[in-house]
Amino acid sequence: MTTLEENAGPVNDPTTDYNIFDPEFVRDPYPTMHEIRESKCPIAHSDRWGGSWLPTRYGDVVAIAQEHEIFTSREIIVTPRPAGQVEGPYAGVAAPPISSDPPDHHWHRRLILPVFAPQSVAKYEQGTRDLCNQLIDKFIDRGEADAGTDYAQQIPVRVIATMLGVPIEMSDEFTSWVRGVLELGLTDPKVRLESRLKILTFFQKQLEDRKQNPRENDLITDLLNSGDKYPVTDQYVLGVCNLMLVAGIDTTWSAIGSSLWHLAQHPEHRQQLRAHPDLWPTAIEELLRAYSPVTMARIVDRDTEFQGCPMKAGDRILMSFPAANRDPRQFENPDDVILDREHNRHVAFGSGIHRCAGSNLARLELRVALQVWLERIPEFSLIDPASVTWAGGQVHGPRICRVRF
Amino acid sequence: MCSIAAPEVFGSDELGHATVLIPGDVPAELHRKVRRAQANCPEDAIIIEE
Repeated sequence: MTTLEENAGPVNDPTTDYNIFDPEFVRDPYPTMHEIRESKCPIAHSDRWGGSWLPTRYGDVVAIAQEHEIFTSREIIVTPRPAGQVEGPYAGVAAPPISSDPPDHHWHRRLILPVFAPQSVAKYEQGTRDLCNQLIDKFIDRGEADAGTDYAQQIPVRVIATMLGVPIEMSDEFTSWVRGVLELGLTDPKVRLESRLKILTFFQKQLEDRKQNPRENDLITDLLNSGDKYPVTDQYVLGVCNLMLVAGIDTTWSAIGSSLWHLAQHPEHRQQLRAHPDLWPTAIEELLRAYSPVTMARIVDRDTEFQGCPMKAGDRILMSFPAANRDPRQFENPDDVILDREHNRHVAFGSGIHRCAGSNLARLELRVALQVWLERIPEFSLIDPASVTWAGGQVHGPRICRVRF
Repeated sequence: MCSIAAPEVFGSDELGHATVLIPGDVPAELHRKVRRAQANCPEDAIIIEE
């Protein structure tokens, strides 16, 4: 049950048969989420893609995220790997701390938090601004561009490569590997494995290099040298590199892309941001709420009943942060983007012990990318709304999004 | 989030965890910002004592 063909077919009742890779759901998942949320089964179940539960109410998603002993993070991808797939030397490499459970989770997370603290990520602001300007320089004279591939896609990969101290010139390869794991690979196990092996083989070489040639102020060197404080292994460092690449690129790229897609269709919001720059902090949170890119998985540790649902050990739960963030029980007029929304306790970055460690970096990238775009290109619109293409499943956001200005 | 909504009151330590910067009572002119921080804290971790 791991390919598109095996899982295709019309969905009659999404509460018992949703398909997260149905083309309509990938393009616009919100109507289906609303249908499930307001039905008698707000925690839906589907046998497609190896079977999963889909909570759609804010309160349920947050409650599951907080109950990390029952709802574990031993697998976090929304579709299972095919049984028996051989991974060779990298079989045990995960993506700590997002894939870690307590007690190891604590030090797995503790070691990477300092690089993502607000005061630490601030040093990437000017570089990100310069990068955004350089990208726009390339297309501004054309009067049109693909806000997805020419812009949003190009930004986070370079910021993450800079943080990891790996060659920025390899950005296109990194992007293709990450898409292989988080997009195409979710419905194509062969692509998923190949992409994963490319990532881990690349970082294994980086680890060997840092051991031979340690660097100053270098994340990989510093992690390798943290053995005096915690039981750090190569497998852990490799896993962290894997996580930063995989979690730091597709996600923020999608948030930037969705926000530009929204702004292209809402001149009143472009105007509002120009007239009231003090709105940026709340506007960023609102765009993150309305267009939350990420859905994570949890695995049920032991048979349990949750809100009347009989969950079995090993069951997969899809933590739809996009669905939670459009729940009218938590947010007034959830489908409206209200740039100065006063109450916005959104969970775009998750909740509980696995709350996104990179949220401050993501916020910075999203804000700078949108600010620079609006400074340089104050007026723009979609060339053809129907031709916008979307990724979905684990990460939701536009991929091709052509605009004219 | 709180350090964005009310930077005069909330900061972050070297791990990025939120800290309270001012001892004692919050000055009246910052009440609105602190309420905003409270209403937007994703972990519902801010308690206002009045």
